[in-house]
Amino acid sequence: MKEYFRLQFKMLNRRMIDFGLPLLIGYSLIPFVFILLSNYLFGNTEFAIYVYGLIAISFVSKLSEPKRNDFLKSIFNKDKYKKLRIIENLIYCLPFTLFLIYKNQFVFSTVLNLFVIIITLLNFSANISIPIPTPFSKRPFEFTVGFRKTFYVFPIAYFLTYISASIGNFNLGVFSMLLIGITCFSYYSKIENEYLVWNYNLSSKEFLLEKMKTCLINFSLLSLPIIITLGILFFNQIDILIVFILLCYAYLTTIIFAKYSSFPNEMNMSQGILITISFMFPPILLIFIPLFYSQSIKKINTVLND
Amino acid sequence: MIKIEKLSKSYGKKQVLKTIDLEFKKGKVYGVVGENGAGKTTLFRCISGLETYSGNVSSGFKKLKNHLGLLLAEPFFFSKITGKEYIQLLANTREIKLSKIEKKNIFDLPLNQYASTYSTGMKKKLALTAILLQENDVFILDEPFNGVDIQSNLIITEIIKRFKELEKTVIISSHIFSTLADTCDEIYLIKNGAIIKKVKQVDFNNLEMEMKEFTVGNRIDRLGLK
Repeated sequence: MKEYFRLQFKMLNRRMIDFGLPLLIGYSLIPFVFILLSNYLFGNTEFAIYVYGLIAISFVSKLSEPKRNDFLKSIFNKDKYKKLRIIENLIYCLPFTLFLIYKNQFVFSTVLNLFVIIITLLNFSANISIPIPTPFSKRPFEFTVGFRKTFYVFPIAYFLTYISASIGNFNLGVFSMLLIGITCFSYYSKIENEYLVWNYNLSSKEFLLEKMKTCLINFSLLSLPIIITLGILFFNQIDILIVFILLCYAYLTTIIFAKYSSFPNEMNMSQGILITISFMFPPILLIFIPLFYSQSIKKINTVLND
Repeated sequence: MIKIEKLSKSYGKKQVLKTIDLEFKKGKVYGVVGENGAGKTTLFRCISGLETYSGNVSSGFKKLKNHLGLLLAEPFFFSKITGKEYIQLLANTREIKLSKIEKKNIFDLPLNQYASTYSTGMKKKLALTAILLQENDVFILDEPFNGVDIQSNLIITEIIKRFKELEKTVIISSHIFSTLADTCDEIYLIKNGAIIKKVKQVDFNNLEMEMKEFTVGNRIDRLGLK
């Protein structure tokens, strides 16, 4: 078991190096950014503790991936497997636990840790063969796959819009649209296999425009109920609403171009930094979008033989 | 026709393909055989344009890749995409309008299930179905028979024969010699990145014997099995 954790540590180091992050900087920077973001979250919303808990659980639940666990079960005996899974879940949850303790949230951190332990007892099946219905079945894949992974976000977003309409809170309505924007943004965080790009009977430019078009149309469809509701009920603030819609379009375009700018590799640290900067200073997108676009064209050319 | 001239490929200092000259004609089926790591997959990736290389690959098409159906030895699937959606995705990439996909499901695959839950053989059959429906003129099939059941094996063999009638060009790699002997017009033997032998149909039997002798030799004796 000791060897297993040593291996996990090695894998983490390799991931950081692949991401272009020197280990020393990585181990200093990651806790710093984590604390910064946690503080930001707790400073900006009264529901932070619940959002924090959800983030922690979704982070830890990545370890419950069925194939991974089947593999672990095949190499460790039952007791060792359980022990190992509990330890790794608690380690993954540790940063969240420590921050919650710092915030004097003792009860919540205890509940969170208990929940994280319970997750290890659940036996997820590797062969769930009933697909979740998706409206994007005809135009795979980003929204088809993404929708199935995050389908629960949409009822939440629509419910928040309903509350915003009921209590007359425009900001909450905008937040629900941004929630959909962020969710769609996440669909483009991982690069696809080069074989799928190679298959396209398009030039690099056409390929990128096609990706952008699909993304913006699908995002618009998903957020349409929110946009219509807010547009009608808060007509006097429609200019602000339009600005936020355009911002969502701009960030979605950015992530698509950024994703392919390092193709066929995953996005690296430099792209990550530029995207982070753009969140702090949105006008800089006017520089970043063309930059990522031209880099993407070059990278995709190698596979599309343009 | 696909013409390969002086094709070489290196990864750093390691040369994996050495000045390969080959021709693949319309309406013919070609086999590429060799040990694991001999360079078959790299050769296929170079022909399809998935790898950079030195030398020249030419064809009668403006862009060969747009007419090429490539079956990878290990097809890639997303975790939450159904078999039907995978077929649709590959058809969309070539702007092919598909209708009645279920009717074209010749391997009787559970198309409404997630492709990632398929067995190895089913994944191969799904990937093959998807490229068959792309209406390609050239096919490169890397290990199409791997992990596939005997019934599907027969279907794939018949598909390859049908391709020949339809004047398509087919290039196959396989470790199962009998399937190659059944379908190919010519077989190329690749070793350490170089084509060391080109064999016509009449000499297939000799090639099989030679390969057996060359590959197995006295290796098993070295185990000292008792």
